[in-house]
Amino acid sequence: MSGFIIEGGSKLSGTVKISSAKNAVLPVIAASLLTEADCIIEDAPELEDVRVMKEVLMSLGAKVSCESKSIKINAAPINSFEAPYDLVRKMRASFLVMGPLLARKGKARISMPGGCAIGSRPIDLHLKGFASLGAEIELGHGFVEARCEKLRGATIYLDFPSVGATENIMMAAALAEGQTVVENAAKEPEIIDLANFLNSMGAHIRGAGTDLIKIEGVRELKGISYTVIPDRIETGTFLVAGAITGGNILLENVVSEHLKPVIAKLIECGAQIIEEPDGLRVIGDGRPLPSDVKTLPYPGFPTDMQAQIMAFLSLASGTSMIIETVFENRFMHVEELRRMGARIKIEGRSAVIEGVEKLSGAPVKATDLRAGAALILAGLAAEGTTTVMNAHHVERGYEDIAGKLSALGANIKKIE
Amino acid sequence: MGQNFQETMKFKVQKEQAADTKEILQKVYDALKQKGYNPINQIVGYILSGDPAYITSFNNARNLIRKLERDELLEELLKNYIEES
Repeated sequence: MSGFIIEGGSKLSGTVKISSAKNAVLPVIAASLLTEADCIIEDAPELEDVRVMKEVLMSLGAKVSCESKSIKINAAPINSFEAPYDLVRKMRASFLVMGPLLARKGKARISMPGGCAIGSRPIDLHLKGFASLGAEIELGHGFVEARCEKLRGATIYLDFPSVGATENIMMAAALAEGQTVVENAAKEPEIIDLANFLNSMGAHIRGAGTDLIKIEGVRELKGISYTVIPDRIETGTFLVAGAITGGNILLENVVSEHLKPVIAKLIECGAQIIEEPDGLRVIGDGRPLPSDVKTLPYPGFPTDMQAQIMAFLSLASGTSMIIETVFENRFMHVEELRRMGARIKIEGRSAVIEGVEKLSGAPVKATDLRAGAALILAGLAAEGTTTVMNAHHVERGYEDIAGKLSALGANIKKIE
Repeated sequence: MGQNFQETMKFKVQKEQAADTKEILQKVYDALKQKGYNPINQIVGYILSGDPAYITSFNNARNLIRKLERDELLEELLKNYIEES
Protein backbone atom coordinates (compact mmCIF):
# COMPACT_ATOMS: atom_id res chain seq x y z
CA MET A 1 0.00 0.00 0.00
CA SER A 2 1.50 3.36 -1.00
CA GLY A 3 1.96 6.37 1.23
CA PHE A 4 4.01 9.45 2.04
CA ILE A 5 6.78 9.73 4.61
CA ILE A 6 7.20 13.24 5.97
CA GLU A 7 9.89 14.54 8.25
CA GLY A 8 8.32 17.62 9.81
CA GLY A 9 9.85 20.93 10.74
CA SER A 10 11.02 22.45 7.44
CA LYS A 11 9.89 25.97 6.65
CA LEU A 12 8.71 26.01 3.05
CA SER A 13 10.09 28.60 0.67
CA GLY A 14 10.16 29.18 -3.07
CA THR A 15 7.62 29.16 -5.88
CA VAL A 16 5.00 26.58 -6.78
CA LYS A 17 2.85 26.46 -9.90
CA ILE A 18 -0.72 25.46 -9.23
CA SER A 19 -2.14 22.84 -11.60
CA SER A 20 -5.35 23.05 -13.60
CA ALA A 21 -8.44 22.28 -11.56
CA LYS A 22 -9.51 18.66 -11.16
CA ASN A 23 -13.12 19.68 -10.68
CA ALA A 24 -13.02 21.79 -13.84
CA VAL A 25 -11.19 19.37 -16.13
CA LEU A 26 -13.48 16.39 -15.42
CA PRO A 27 -16.71 18.05 -16.68
CA VAL A 28 -14.79 19.52 -19.62
CA ILE A 29 -13.60 16.03 -20.62
CA ALA A 30 -17.20 14.78 -20.32
CA ALA A 31 -18.47 17.74 -22.39
CA SER A 32 -16.12 16.74 -25.23
CA LEU A 33 -18.66 13.98 -25.92
CA LEU A 34 -21.05 16.65 -27.21
CA THR A 35 -19.22 17.10 -30.51
CA GLU A 36 -17.91 14.85 -33.26
CA ALA A 37 -14.96 17.19 -33.77
CA ASP A 38 -11.60 17.10 -31.96
CA CYS A 39 -11.34 18.75 -28.56
CA ILE A 40 -7.94 19.41 -27.06
CA ILE A 41 -7.55 20.07 -23.36
CA GLU A 42 -4.22 21.76 -22.74
CA ASP A 43 -2.19 21.57 -19.54
CA ALA A 44 -4.47 18.92 -18.04
CA PRO A 45 -3.44 17.76 -14.58
CA GLU A 46 -1.98 14.25 -14.35
CA LEU A 47 -4.38 12.84 -11.77
CA GLU A 48 -5.94 9.46 -11.10
CA ASP A 49 -9.46 10.91 -11.55
CA VAL A 50 -8.48 12.31 -14.96
CA ARG A 51 -7.14 8.90 -15.98
CA VAL A 52 -10.42 7.26 -14.93
CA MET A 53 -12.48 9.85 -16.85
CA LYS A 54 -10.39 9.21 -20.00
CA GLU A 55 -11.06 5.48 -19.58
CA VAL A 56 -14.80 6.15 -19.25
CA LEU A 57 -14.75 8.01 -22.57
CA MET A 58 -12.72 5.28 -24.25
CA SER A 59 -15.15 2.65 -22.95
CA LEU A 60 -17.90 4.58 -24.76
CA GLY A 61 -15.90 4.38 -28.00
CA ALA A 62 -14.28 7.83 -28.02
CA LYS A 63 -10.70 8.18 -29.23
CA VAL A 64 -8.50 9.67 -26.49
CA SER A 65 -4.81 10.39 -26.90
CA CYS A 66 -2.34 12.25 -24.73
CA GLU A 67 0.74 14.19 -25.69
CA SER A 68 2.76 15.86 -22.97
CA LYS A 69 -0.01 17.36 -20.82
CA SER A 70 -2.58 17.74 -23.61
CA ILE A 71 -5.53 15.42 -23.97
CA LYS A 72 -7.05 15.05 -27.43
CA ILE A 73 -10.57 13.67 -27.57
CA ASN A 74 -12.61 12.68 -30.57
CA ALA A 75 -16.07 11.47 -29.70
CA ALA A 76 -17.30 10.92 -33.28
CA PRO A 77 -17.06 7.13 -33.02
CA ILE A 78 -18.93 6.66 -29.72
CA ASN A 79 -20.88 3.45 -30.06
CA SER A 80 -21.95 2.73 -26.52
CA PHE A 81 -24.30 4.48 -24.16
CA GLU A 82 -23.26 2.64 -21.03
CA ALA A 83 -20.51 3.69 -18.61
CA PRO A 84 -19.15 0.51 -17.00
CA TYR A 85 -19.57 -0.16 -13.29
CA ASP A 86 -15.85 -0.77 -12.69
CA LEU A 87 -15.01 2.80 -13.68
CA VAL A 88 -18.03 4.64 -12.33
CA ARG A 89 -17.66 3.13 -8.86
CA LYS A 90 -14.10 4.52 -8.72
CA MET A 91 -15.10 8.08 -9.42
CA ARG A 92 -18.32 9.93 -8.83
CA ALA A 93 -17.65 12.49 -11.57
CA SER A 94 -18.04 9.78 -14.22
CA PHE A 95 -21.78 10.39 -13.79
CA LEU A 96 -21.14 13.62 -15.73
CA VAL A 97 -21.11 11.69 -19.01
CA MET A 98 -24.85 11.11 -18.62
CA GLY A 99 -25.96 14.57 -19.82
CA PRO A 100 -23.71 14.59 -22.93
CA LEU A 101 -24.62 10.97 -23.81
CA LEU A 102 -28.30 11.72 -23.54
CA ALA A 103 -27.91 14.80 -25.72
CA ARG A 104 -25.80 13.00 -28.36
CA LYS A 105 -27.25 9.47 -28.38
CA GLY A 106 -30.69 9.90 -26.80
CA LYS A 107 -29.81 7.19 -24.30
CA ALA A 108 -27.48 6.78 -21.33
CA ARG A 109 -27.05 4.04 -18.78
CA ILE A 110 -24.75 4.61 -15.81
CA SER A 111 -23.97 2.66 -12.66
CA MET A 112 -24.68 4.42 -9.39
CA PRO A 113 -21.61 6.58 -8.73
CA GLY A 114 -18.80 6.07 -6.21
CA GLY A 115 -16.15 8.57 -5.03
CA CYS A 116 -14.88 9.59 -1.58
CA ALA A 117 -17.02 8.27 1.28
CA ILE A 118 -17.67 11.70 2.75
CA GLY A 119 -21.45 11.52 2.89
CA SER A 120 -24.54 10.97 0.86
CA ARG A 121 -24.52 12.82 -2.44
CA PRO A 122 -27.73 11.88 -4.18
CA ILE A 123 -28.09 12.05 -7.94
CA ASP A 124 -31.79 12.82 -7.79
CA LEU A 125 -31.27 16.44 -8.88
CA HIS A 126 -29.44 15.29 -12.03
CA LEU A 127 -32.35 12.98 -12.81
CA LYS A 128 -34.94 15.66 -12.04
CA GLY A 129 -33.18 17.87 -14.57
CA PHE A 130 -33.08 15.19 -17.28
CA ALA A 131 -36.75 14.36 -16.67
CA SER A 132 -37.68 18.04 -17.01
CA LEU A 133 -35.85 18.10 -20.36
CA GLY A 134 -38.11 15.25 -21.51
CA ALA A 135 -36.07 12.14 -20.70
CA GLU A 136 -37.64 8.97 -19.33
CA ILE A 137 -35.75 7.74 -16.31
CA GLU A 138 -35.52 4.14 -15.18
CA LEU A 139 -33.84 3.17 -11.93
CA GLY A 140 -32.63 -0.42 -11.76
CA HIS A 141 -30.49 -2.42 -9.37
CA GLY A 142 -27.35 -0.30 -9.14
CA PHE A 143 -27.86 1.58 -12.39
CA VAL A 144 -29.87 4.40 -13.85
CA GLU A 145 -31.01 4.67 -17.44
CA ALA A 146 -32.33 7.72 -19.25
CA ARG A 147 -33.71 7.87 -22.78
CA CYS A 148 -35.39 10.41 -24.98
CA GLU A 149 -36.33 11.12 -28.60
CA LYS A 150 -35.16 14.72 -28.36
CA LEU A 151 -34.40 16.85 -25.31
CA ARG A 152 -36.54 19.97 -25.02
CA GLY A 153 -35.71 23.11 -23.04
CA ALA A 154 -37.46 23.61 -19.71
CA THR A 155 -37.29 25.60 -16.50
CA ILE A 156 -35.64 23.55 -13.77
CA TYR A 157 -35.51 24.59 -10.13
CA LEU A 158 -32.76 22.83 -8.18
CA ASP A 159 -33.75 22.13 -4.57
CA PHE A 160 -30.09 22.45 -3.65
CA PRO A 161 -27.41 24.25 -5.71
CA SER A 162 -25.72 21.00 -6.75
CA VAL A 163 -22.54 21.48 -8.80
CA GLY A 164 -22.80 18.13 -10.59
CA ALA A 165 -26.49 18.55 -11.41
CA THR A 166 -25.94 22.09 -12.72
CA GLU A 167 -23.11 20.84 -14.95
CA ASN A 168 -24.97 17.78 -16.21
CA ILE A 169 -28.08 19.84 -17.05
CA MET A 170 -25.99 22.53 -18.79
CA MET A 171 -24.34 19.93 -21.00
CA ALA A 172 -27.61 18.16 -21.86
CA ALA A 173 -29.42 21.44 -22.51
CA ALA A 174 -26.64 22.76 -24.79
CA LEU A 175 -28.00 20.53 -27.58
CA ALA A 176 -31.68 20.57 -26.53
CA GLU A 177 -34.44 22.23 -28.51
CA GLY A 178 -35.29 25.71 -27.15
CA GLN A 179 -34.35 27.49 -23.95
CA THR A 180 -33.52 25.88 -20.61
CA VAL A 181 -33.45 27.92 -17.41
CA VAL A 182 -31.72 26.52 -14.32
CA GLU A 183 -32.90 28.24 -11.15
CA ASN A 184 -30.99 28.00 -7.86
CA ALA A 185 -27.99 26.85 -9.88
CA ALA A 186 -24.60 26.26 -8.26
CA LYS A 187 -22.25 29.25 -8.61
CA GLU A 188 -18.84 27.55 -8.38
CA PRO A 189 -16.03 28.79 -10.67
CA GLU A 190 -15.95 25.32 -12.26
CA ILE A 191 -19.48 25.99 -13.59
CA ILE A 192 -18.23 29.16 -15.27
CA ASP A 193 -15.30 27.28 -16.72
CA LEU A 194 -17.60 24.64 -18.20
CA ALA A 195 -19.83 27.40 -19.63
CA ASN A 196 -16.73 29.03 -21.15
CA PHE A 197 -15.75 25.72 -22.72
CA LEU A 198 -19.24 25.06 -24.10
CA ASN A 199 -19.67 28.64 -25.34
CA SER A 200 -16.32 28.40 -27.14
CA MET A 201 -17.72 25.29 -28.83
CA GLY A 202 -20.70 27.34 -30.02
CA ALA A 203 -23.19 26.88 -27.18
CA HIS A 204 -25.33 29.78 -25.91
CA ILE A 205 -25.10 29.83 -22.13
CA ARG A 206 -25.55 32.93 -19.99
CA GLY A 207 -25.56 33.54 -16.27
CA ALA A 208 -23.04 30.86 -15.17
CA GLY A 209 -21.66 31.92 -11.80
CA THR A 210 -25.05 33.28 -10.75
CA ASP A 211 -28.04 31.32 -9.46
CA LEU A 212 -29.90 31.68 -12.77
CA ILE A 213 -28.42 30.08 -15.87
CA LYS A 214 -30.05 30.31 -19.29
CA ILE A 215 -29.11 27.87 -22.04
CA GLU A 216 -30.34 28.34 -25.60
CA GLY A 217 -29.97 24.98 -27.30
CA VAL A 218 -28.00 24.76 -30.57
CA ARG A 219 -27.98 22.07 -33.28
CA GLU A 220 -24.31 21.20 -33.02
CA LEU A 221 -21.07 22.13 -31.32
CA LYS A 222 -17.58 22.43 -32.76
CA GLY A 223 -14.23 21.21 -31.49
CA ILE A 224 -11.85 23.57 -29.69
CA SER A 225 -8.61 23.76 -27.76
CA TYR A 226 -9.04 24.82 -24.13
CA THR A 227 -7.16 25.30 -20.85
CA VAL A 228 -9.15 25.01 -17.63
CA ILE A 229 -8.89 27.31 -14.60
CA PRO A 230 -6.34 26.79 -11.81
CA ASP A 231 -7.28 24.46 -8.96
CA ARG A 232 -8.60 26.57 -6.10
CA ILE A 233 -8.43 23.71 -3.60
CA GLU A 234 -4.80 22.95 -4.45
CA THR A 235 -4.16 26.70 -4.11
CA GLY A 236 -5.81 26.71 -0.67
CA THR A 237 -3.86 23.63 0.38
CA PHE A 238 -0.54 25.25 -0.54
CA LEU A 239 -1.55 28.48 1.22
CA VAL A 240 -2.07 26.42 4.38
CA ALA A 241 1.24 24.61 3.74
CA GLY A 242 3.05 27.96 3.70
CA ALA A 243 1.25 29.21 6.79
CA ILE A 244 1.47 26.03 8.89
CA THR A 245 5.24 25.69 8.36
CA GLY A 246 5.98 29.37 9.01
CA GLY A 247 7.20 29.51 5.44
CA ASN A 248 7.23 32.05 2.63
CA ILE A 249 5.99 30.77 -0.71
CA LEU A 250 4.71 32.24 -3.94
CA LEU A 251 1.85 30.44 -5.67
CA GLU A 252 1.71 30.98 -9.43
CA ASN A 253 -1.30 30.37 -11.69
CA VAL A 254 -4.01 31.29 -9.19
CA VAL A 255 -7.30 33.19 -9.30
CA SER A 256 -7.42 34.72 -5.83
CA GLU A 257 -11.12 35.68 -6.17
CA HIS A 258 -11.95 31.96 -6.01
CA LEU A 259 -10.47 31.69 -2.53
CA LYS A 260 -11.78 34.72 -0.69
CA PRO A 261 -13.08 32.86 2.40
CA VAL A 262 -9.89 30.79 2.74
CA ILE A 263 -7.68 33.86 2.38
CA ALA A 264 -9.84 35.77 4.88
CA LYS A 265 -9.54 32.96 7.44
CA LEU A 266 -5.79 32.62 7.04
CA ILE A 267 -5.35 36.37 7.50
CA GLU A 268 -7.63 36.22 10.55
CA CYS A 269 -5.32 33.51 11.92
CA GLY A 270 -2.27 35.75 11.50
CA ALA A 271 -0.82 34.63 8.15
CA GLN A 272 0.19 37.24 5.62
CA ILE A 273 -1.30 36.82 2.15
CA ILE A 274 0.02 39.22 -0.46
CA GLU A 275 -1.25 39.64 -4.04
CA GLU A 276 1.78 39.98 -6.31
CA PRO A 277 1.88 40.46 -10.09
CA ASP A 278 2.96 36.82 -10.54
CA GLY A 279 0.62 35.25 -8.00
CA LEU A 280 -0.21 34.97 -4.36
CA ARG A 281 2.40 34.97 -1.60
CA VAL A 282 1.80 33.42 1.81
CA ILE A 283 4.00 34.11 4.80
CA GLY A 284 3.44 32.20 8.03
CA ASP A 285 4.73 33.39 11.35
CA GLY A 286 4.32 31.59 14.67
CA ARG A 287 1.26 29.80 15.99
CA PRO A 288 -2.00 30.64 14.27
CA LEU A 289 -4.70 32.54 16.13
CA PRO A 290 -7.88 30.55 16.74
CA SER A 291 -10.85 31.06 14.45
CA ASP A 292 -14.29 29.64 13.70
CA VAL A 293 -15.13 28.21 10.29
CA LYS A 294 -18.44 27.14 8.75
CA THR A 295 -18.45 25.35 5.41
CA LEU A 296 -21.00 26.50 2.84
CA PRO A 297 -21.66 26.22 -0.89
CA TYR A 298 -19.63 28.67 -3.00
CA PRO A 299 -18.87 31.52 -2.38
CA GLY A 300 -18.76 30.35 1.25
CA PHE A 301 -15.88 28.49 2.85
CA PRO A 302 -15.33 25.34 0.73
CA THR A 303 -15.98 21.97 2.34
CA ASP A 304 -13.00 20.72 0.31
CA MET A 305 -10.74 22.93 2.51
CA GLN A 306 -12.29 21.96 5.85
CA ALA A 307 -9.82 19.18 6.72
CA GLN A 308 -6.78 21.29 5.78
CA ILE A 309 -7.89 24.29 7.86
CA MET A 310 -8.57 21.91 10.76
CA ALA A 311 -4.97 20.68 10.63
CA PHE A 312 -3.89 24.35 10.74
CA LEU A 313 -6.22 25.27 13.62
CA SER A 314 -5.10 22.25 15.64
CA LEU A 315 -1.92 24.28 16.26
CA ALA A 316 -3.73 27.53 17.15
CA SER A 317 -3.15 29.45 20.36
CA GLY A 318 -6.72 28.90 21.54
CA THR A 319 -9.96 27.10 20.82
CA SER A 320 -11.57 27.07 17.37
CA MET A 321 -14.77 25.60 16.04
CA ILE A 322 -15.55 24.14 12.61
CA ILE A 323 -19.12 23.50 11.50
CA GLU A 324 -19.49 21.25 8.46
CA THR A 325 -22.82 22.02 6.81
CA VAL A 326 -22.26 20.50 3.36
CA PHE A 327 -21.52 16.80 4.03
CA GLU A 328 -22.59 14.76 7.03
CA ASN A 329 -19.61 12.42 7.23
CA ARG A 330 -16.60 14.61 6.68
CA PHE A 331 -14.70 14.40 9.97
CA MET A 332 -12.90 11.13 9.33
CA HIS A 333 -9.53 12.90 9.48
CA VAL A 334 -10.17 13.88 13.11
CA GLU A 335 -9.28 10.46 14.47
CA GLU A 336 -6.00 10.55 12.53
CA LEU A 337 -5.15 14.11 13.62
CA ARG A 338 -5.75 13.01 17.22
CA ARG A 339 -3.12 10.32 16.71
CA MET A 340 -0.69 13.16 16.04
CA GLY A 341 -1.60 14.92 19.29
CA ALA A 342 -4.41 17.22 18.12
CA ARG A 343 -7.19 17.87 20.65
CA ILE A 344 -10.44 17.76 18.74
CA LYS A 345 -13.95 16.87 19.90
CA ILE A 346 -16.80 16.11 17.55
CA GLU A 347 -20.43 16.86 18.29
CA GLY A 348 -22.68 16.12 15.34
CA ARG A 349 -21.56 18.36 12.50
CA SER A 350 -19.35 20.53 14.74
CA ALA A 351 -15.73 20.06 15.72
CA VAL A 352 -14.15 21.89 18.66
CA ILE A 353 -10.40 22.21 18.25
CA GLU A 354 -8.34 23.07 21.27
CA GLY A 355 -5.05 24.22 19.81
CA VAL A 356 -1.86 22.47 20.92
CA GLU A 357 1.67 23.82 20.80
CA LYS A 358 3.04 20.91 18.82
CA LEU A 359 1.88 17.94 16.81
CA SER A 360 3.99 14.82 16.80
CA GLY A 361 4.65 12.56 13.85
CA ALA A 362 2.72 9.28 13.75
CA PRO A 363 1.58 6.64 11.28
CA VAL A 364 -1.82 7.75 9.97
CA LYS A 365 -4.04 6.90 7.03
CA ALA A 366 -5.84 9.04 4.48
CA THR A 367 -9.51 8.19 4.56
CA ASP A 368 -10.35 10.41 1.61
CA LEU A 369 -8.72 12.90 -0.73
CA ARG A 370 -8.84 16.09 1.39
CA ALA A 371 -8.29 14.18 4.64
CA GLY A 372 -5.05 12.92 3.10
CA ALA A 373 -3.99 16.48 2.22
CA ALA A 374 -4.73 17.62 5.79
CA LEU A 375 -2.59 14.83 7.23
CA ILE A 376 0.31 15.75 4.94
CA LEU A 377 0.00 19.37 6.15
CA ALA A 378 -0.06 18.22 9.77
CA GLY A 379 2.99 16.06 9.05
CA LEU A 380 4.88 19.05 7.59
CA ALA A 381 4.39 20.95 10.87
CA ALA A 382 4.78 18.01 13.27
CA GLU A 383 7.86 17.01 15.19
CA GLY A 384 9.31 13.74 13.93
CA THR A 385 8.18 11.38 11.19
CA THR A 386 4.66 11.03 9.87
CA THR A 387 3.61 8.27 7.51
CA VAL A 388 0.40 8.97 5.61
CA MET A 389 -0.88 5.74 4.11
CA ASN A 390 -3.40 5.38 1.26
CA ALA A 391 -1.59 7.77 -1.08
CA HIS A 392 -4.05 6.82 -3.83
CA HIS A 393 -6.73 9.00 -2.23
CA VAL A 394 -4.42 12.03 -2.37
CA GLU A 395 -3.32 11.27 -5.93
CA ARG A 396 -6.93 11.45 -7.09
CA GLY A 397 -6.80 15.22 -6.70
CA TYR A 398 -3.24 16.53 -6.21
CA GLU A 399 -0.74 16.45 -9.05
CA ASP A 400 2.70 15.36 -7.82
CA ILE A 401 2.12 16.74 -4.32
CA ALA A 402 5.31 15.17 -2.96
CA GLY A 403 7.40 16.63 -5.81
CA LYS A 404 5.90 20.10 -5.43
CA LEU A 405 6.38 20.14 -1.63
CA SER A 406 9.94 18.78 -1.96
CA ALA A 407 10.79 21.59 -4.37
CA LEU A 408 9.67 24.02 -1.64
CA GLY A 409 12.04 22.41 0.86
CA ALA A 410 9.74 19.87 2.52
CA ASN A 411 11.20 16.56 3.56
CA ILE A 412 8.61 14.27 1.97
CA LYS A 413 8.84 11.20 -0.18
CA LYS A 414 6.40 8.78 -1.64
CA ILE A 415 6.64 5.08 -0.81
CA GLU A 416 5.07 2.31 -2.88
CA MET B 1 -3.58 64.36 5.98
CA GLY B 2 0.11 64.88 6.47
CA GLN B 3 0.70 65.31 2.73
CA ASN B 4 3.19 67.85 1.45
CA PHE B 5 1.04 70.28 -0.49
CA GLN B 6 4.17 71.97 -1.89
CA GLU B 7 4.74 68.98 -4.19
CA THR B 8 3.07 68.49 -7.51
CA MET B 9 0.08 66.21 -7.18
CA LYS B 10 -1.89 64.34 -9.79
CA PHE B 11 -5.66 64.39 -9.52
CA LYS B 12 -7.72 61.87 -11.41
CA VAL B 13 -10.66 63.59 -13.01
CA GLN B 14 -13.81 61.83 -14.18
CA LYS B 15 -12.98 62.19 -17.85
CA GLU B 16 -9.67 60.43 -17.40
CA GLN B 17 -11.39 57.61 -15.51
CA ALA B 18 -13.80 57.17 -18.42
CA ALA B 19 -10.89 57.05 -20.84
CA ASP B 20 -9.16 54.39 -18.70
CA THR B 21 -12.33 52.31 -18.57
CA LYS B 22 -12.77 52.51 -22.33
CA GLU B 23 -9.15 51.58 -22.96
CA ILE B 24 -9.25 48.63 -20.58
CA LEU B 25 -12.57 47.40 -21.94
CA GLN B 26 -11.25 47.62 -25.48
CA LYS B 27 -8.11 45.64 -24.59
CA VAL B 28 -10.16 43.00 -22.75
CA TYR B 29 -12.61 42.83 -25.67
CA ASP B 30 -9.77 42.33 -28.14
CA ALA B 31 -8.10 39.62 -26.04
CA LEU B 32 -11.37 37.71 -25.69
CA LYS B 33 -12.04 38.00 -29.41
CA GLN B 34 -8.55 36.80 -30.28
CA LYS B 35 -9.07 33.75 -28.07
CA GLY B 36 -12.27 32.91 -29.93
CA TYR B 37 -14.82 33.94 -27.29
CA ASN B 38 -17.92 36.05 -27.77
CA PRO B 39 -16.51 39.11 -25.94
CA ILE B 40 -19.86 40.68 -25.06
CA ASN B 41 -21.15 37.42 -23.57
CA GLN B 42 -17.98 37.04 -21.50
CA ILE B 43 -17.93 40.63 -20.23
CA VAL B 44 -21.65 40.43 -19.33
CA GLY B 45 -20.89 37.20 -17.44
CA TYR B 46 -18.09 38.95 -15.56
CA ILE B 47 -20.27 41.92 -14.64
CA LEU B 48 -23.07 39.62 -13.42
CA SER B 49 -20.95 37.17 -11.44
CA GLY B 50 -17.80 39.12 -10.57
CA ASP B 51 -15.75 36.05 -11.44
CA PRO B 52 -12.59 36.78 -13.45
CA ALA B 53 -12.74 33.22 -14.84
CA TYR B 54 -14.92 34.83 -17.55
CA ILE B 55 -11.96 36.85 -18.75
CA THR B 56 -9.03 35.18 -20.46
CA SER B 57 -5.58 35.63 -18.97
CA PHE B 58 -4.34 36.11 -22.56
CA ASN B 59 -2.64 39.51 -23.06
CA ASN B 60 -3.03 40.27 -19.35
CA ALA B 61 -6.78 40.82 -19.86
CA ARG B 62 -7.76 39.22 -16.54
CA ASN B 63 -5.46 41.51 -14.57
CA LEU B 64 -6.65 44.53 -16.54
CA ILE B 65 -10.34 43.96 -15.80
CA ARG B 66 -9.51 43.62 -12.10
CA LYS B 67 -8.38 47.26 -12.14
CA LEU B 68 -11.99 48.33 -12.62
CA GLU B 69 -14.58 48.16 -9.87
CA ARG B 70 -17.62 46.38 -11.28
CA ASP B 71 -20.10 49.01 -10.05
CA GLU B 72 -18.03 51.77 -11.63
CA LEU B 73 -17.74 49.81 -14.85
CA LEU B 74 -21.50 49.35 -15.00
CA GLU B 75 -22.03 53.03 -14.18
CA GLU B 76 -19.69 54.05 -17.00
CA LEU B 77 -21.44 51.75 -19.47
CA LEU B 78 -24.89 53.03 -18.51
CA LYS B 79 -23.81 56.67 -18.61
CA ASN B 80 -22.24 56.17 -21.99
CA TYR B 81 -25.33 54.39 -23.31
CA ILE B 82 -27.74 57.05 -22.06
CA GLU B 83 -25.59 59.93 -23.28
CA GLU B 84 -25.01 58.38 -26.69
CA SER B 85 -28.64 57.50 -27.34
